[in-house]
Amino acid sequence: MTWIYDLVPAIALLPLVSFVVALFAGKYLPKKGALAGIAATGGSLVLSLLVALTVATSDGADTGYNETLYTFLEGSSSAPFSLELGVLIDPLSALMLVVVSLISFLVHVFSLGYMNDEGETGLPRYYAGLGLFSFSMLAFVFASNILMAFMFFELVGLCSYLLIGFWFREAGPPSAAKKAFLVTRFGDYFFLVGVVAIFATFGTGAFAGSESFPHLAEQALHGEHSVNTFLGLGEQAWFTVVGLLVLGGVIGKSAQFPLHTWLPDAMEGPTPVSALIHAATMVAAGVFLVARMYGFYALSPTALGVIAFIGGFTALFAATMGVVKQELKQVLAYSTISQYGYMMLALGGGGYVAAVFHLTTHAVFKALLFLGAGSVIIAMHHNENMWDMGGLKEKMPVTYWTFLAGSLALAGIFPFAGFWSKDEVLYETLIHGLGESPLLLGGYAMGLLAVVFTGFYTFRMVFLTFHGEPRTDVAEDPEPVRWNVKGPLVVLGVLATVLGAINMVPIKKLTDADIDFLHQFLDEAPSGFLTSVHHYAELLEVEAGYGAADIGTTGLLASAALSLGLALAGAGLAYRLYNVPEPVEHTDKLGRVKTLLMHNYYQDEYQVWLATGLTVPVAKAADTFDQGIIDGVVNGISSVSRFAGRGVRRIQTGVVRNYAALLTLALVLLVAFFGVTGGWF
Amino acid sequence: MDPLVNLPDWAGMAPMLAFAVTALVLFLLDSIEPESDSLSLTVLTGVGLIGSLAAVVLSGWFLLEAGPVELFAGAYVVDEMSLFFTALIGSVTALVVLGSHDYIAETDYRAEYYSLVFLAATGMAMVASANSLAAAFVAVELVSLPSYALVAYLKHNRGSVEAGLKYFLVGALSSAIFVYGISLVYGATGALQFDMIATAIDGDALTGGPGILGLGILMVIGGVAFKTAAVPFHFWAPEAYEGAPAPISGFLSSASKAAGFVLAFRVFTVAFPLDAVSGTFDWTLAFLILSIVTMTLGNFAAATQEKVKRMLAYSSIGHAGYVLMALAAFSGTGAESLLADVSNDSLLLGAGMMHLLVYGFMNTGAFLFVALAEYWGVGRRFEDYNGLWREAPIASAAMTVFLFSLAGLPVGAGFLSKYVLFMGVIGAGLWWLVVIALVNSALSLYYYSRLVKALWIETPETPHEIDSYPAGIYAAVVAAAVVTVLLLPGFGVVAEEAIAAAGALL
Repeated sequence: MTWIYDLVPAIALLPLVSFVVALFAGKYLPKKGALAGIAATGGSLVLSLLVALTVATSDGADTGYNETLYTFLEGSSSAPFSLELGVLIDPLSALMLVVVSLISFLVHVFSLGYMNDEGETGLPRYYAGLGLFSFSMLAFVFASNILMAFMFFELVGLCSYLLIGFWFREAGPPSAAKKAFLVTRFGDYFFLVGVVAIFATFGTGAFAGSESFPHLAEQALHGEHSVNTFLGLGEQAWFTVVGLLVLGGVIGKSAQFPLHTWLPDAMEGPTPVSALIHAATMVAAGVFLVARMYGFYALSPTALGVIAFIGGFTALFAATMGVVKQELKQVLAYSTISQYGYMMLALGGGGYVAAVFHLTTHAVFKALLFLGAGSVIIAMHHNENMWDMGGLKEKMPVTYWTFLAGSLALAGIFPFAGFWSKDEVLYETLIHGLGESPLLLGGYAMGLLAVVFTGFYTFRMVFLTFHGEPRTDVAEDPEPVRWNVKGPLVVLGVLATVLGAINMVPIKKLTDADIDFLHQFLDEAPSGFLTSVHHYAELLEVEAGYGAADIGTTGLLASAALSLGLALAGAGLAYRLYNVPEPVEHTDKLGRVKTLLMHNYYQDEYQVWLATGLTVPVAKAADTFDQGIIDGVVNGISSVSRFAGRGVRRIQTGVVRNYAALLTLALVLLVAFFGVTGGWF
Repeated sequence: MDPLVNLPDWAGMAPMLAFAVTALVLFLLDSIEPESDSLSLTVLTGVGLIGSLAAVVLSGWFLLEAGPVELFAGAYVVDEMSLFFTALIGSVTALVVLGSHDYIAETDYRAEYYSLVFLAATGMAMVASANSLAAAFVAVELVSLPSYALVAYLKHNRGSVEAGLKYFLVGALSSAIFVYGISLVYGATGALQFDMIATAIDGDALTGGPGILGLGILMVIGGVAFKTAAVPFHFWAPEAYEGAPAPISGFLSSASKAAGFVLAFRVFTVAFPLDAVSGTFDWTLAFLILSIVTMTLGNFAAATQEKVKRMLAYSSIGHAGYVLMALAAFSGTGAESLLADVSNDSLLLGAGMMHLLVYGFMNTGAFLFVALAEYWGVGRRFEDYNGLWREAPIASAAMTVFLFSLAGLPVGAGFLSKYVLFMGVIGAGLWWLVVIALVNSALSLYYYSRLVKALWIETPETPHEIDSYPAGIYAAVVAAAVVTVLLLPGFGVVAEEAIAAAGALL
């Protein structure tokens, strides 16, 4: 089956073809490019599943594939590294390919209902954007080196810009698109510097193998390999700096504090796009990148600590803001930020498998929630305010039950998918915190506290939307949705319910049954790649000093019970307050806290101030300098040049006698000069 | 000679002989059919194209296949350097012949015109191969005399005749200086052949102290500077280029200049080895001064011109200044360059050769565009070219390629040749010279862009009246543009050849 690896590029190229088809032929096609997109992503899904299956069923070196496709800059003696495009398939990328192509496929199907059936215009552009988006993300996932990853990371950012601003004739979307682009670009500057730093330090950007930069870094720490460090830093410190630079891009893309502000605004885009961005592409790209180069981060306890703290803080911080939002998609937006915070917490806390697990389950249940929200939005004639809904449970049962499954998963209620993954995130952080890295306990505490808020805002959303009495006429009589909306919801609903089964670690610990499938799968990476779980575990223990405390079965159960209990507590509070026929706003009871939360902790305000209050004056000063001094010098030089030029012109009198005289004079001057200096006389 | 067919040694002169034979065939045709309007112009152009392309093909073939040959007791050598330049001269000649086809259609003495072009080309090919000062002088004169006649070819045009006369007068003065220099060198060393001069200098067998030799070398520089239109021997250039028929301006500013440089490269690296003469006369310093003055004067003067042809004339002086940097930064030590496995001196000379090659296409192309404009009677000033793209989009696009490539933007190979040249100069430690050259390049971008702006952006005051599109000039302009662009990807291959040729000389 290893021949399937040769087809990996096709996984990304199929959506690229659909992009071209939709762009150039979309307006002549019956569904304006939707069918091409569905066929392409469907093909990608089948191929990705085959690849994942091959990875799972093979042994030894066949479980991965690491090949260069195209070298666009050959290394030479003066520039001792090559720049290339390549394919890296190992369990992590195989899994992610399945996730991305699955979500992308379902989003395409759902778009038939959300965009085509609603009679939107500009659909070829929409489907072209989706195709390019899927292409970029898939190619990013199987990128074999950090430069290629960066290129597609940027393409992903561009696509999100194009799709968020899809309704460019309205006021909000273009502005939101620009904001998303600029804020993520701010992070990407650091990433770009990081990429250059990696090439300058190691001479390679490869992710996997014995010549990869994570491995070279490991050898450098052991003194087995010498690398270039800069700024006079030691190796460990320099690797931390490089890791943090790359992390800049991750924080921007994965909407971590303080660069999360673009994401809620990005809700201006079409809802299926939000599903794609939040579940599988743009936002996932950041966390995936950390997982991809985990062997590098595992060498630096400082970088890990920063990741864990940013993650834990973001999880809590975003969850609190989700509590007061009025609009369905806004709640989901803050939940996304919060959930990616959990993944970062897991990565920083030494729980690589937990992070990948949560990335997978979150992709499913967040796509489900967004598509469910999309279904509600269709029904509500594009009114997103939850206070105008209510009682939709009876009118749209399929949407309700699937949305409920997604909500249970998001809140982390047993036995839905999110429970297992979130529990593992918290458990891993806890045992490493209790072990030799007590600072992680701070991240753990924030993550735990966020569970309460998550349970609360999730069920506040469910109750306000579906329960109680209809609060408007539209909610009385919502518009029905078709199969193309319900189909994806059912698929994702089932997955959100059962997907936890792929890695039920607590059950394994209790019964010793061999059912941590995801862990085993991720551990299958070819030993030469150095991307397997046990290799990372080794690195964490040896290099980062992450020891795990043994808290026994009791501790395990207590931890699970604690997070479940807190989630239930949050959900219960929401039940008390909002599951009533005529719910009222309780946010006023929060007093001034409400204002703070409603304004999102004034994050936007201070960033706007940074732009207008700080950057603009500095830019103006620079402009004055440029106009006055630089341009002044340039203009001065040009005046001098033209003046001198006129002088030179005057030498050319047109009288040949003058020419002969000047020529002879110049020769005499030269003879005199060289005669004196050369001692001819 | 060639191992495959065992040609005799004299066959090495074949590329040069191709020019000479073509010139004589044209004379023959003219004497058979002296009435100018009865002899088909197409036949003349065809013969000219065949002759010049034969020279290109022969020199290209020898360059790839054959080893170096010495003829006439070493006074004439055929080596990689001479073949490279013969190919260059042949290419420019072909472009000029093609571009002249329509330009001279309405004039008399067309066969003589072509014949003179080929006599000059013969002289240039001989200059490239000359290995003794006597041969060099004869060859240089063989270039000059037809050139004077060609500049004055438009007999009823005052500018053309005046330019021809001025060119002749300044040329006579320069030739006098050159031949006097040769006599002094001969007097000091007792030799005329380049390698023997070097042997005499090395062996300290000098007559009459260092002054005689130093003065001689300086005067030889004068002769070279005249051919390359370097300051202060440049005075003829702006007027000759402006007055001459535009294809001839292209011919003189590209091929004739290249011939001057190949002589300079050969004389100064072979006859006057730097380590032996630097105590007497450090000629790199002389070239450094000439280079700075030439590029600065050329570019500054070009920036203030109002007429396009005169601007190109001054820019041509500026480009001579760039190539002179190759000799100014010469070290004679074989020190490593910034590129691996290549000595910095070979890199410098190779880069100079490459710049001359690329310049041969882009500059000839630019003058041929001017020829096109003159053919149409558009006018001479920048404003007269306003909005010409409406009538001639292809030619305007080609001209834009030439101008940007001349300025060193990466639309044509002019970018790479300048880049490698600068790299060589930096490799010699003269980074400040590169700074000066960069300032000059920036200035040149200004005046080249003026013309691009006129062509594409400005609107003409009165619409141009263009009723015919001359196929010959168009073909030549497009061919030059295509080669200018193709040399961008193909630069590496040709540059290797050039650097190897320079290496072989050293």
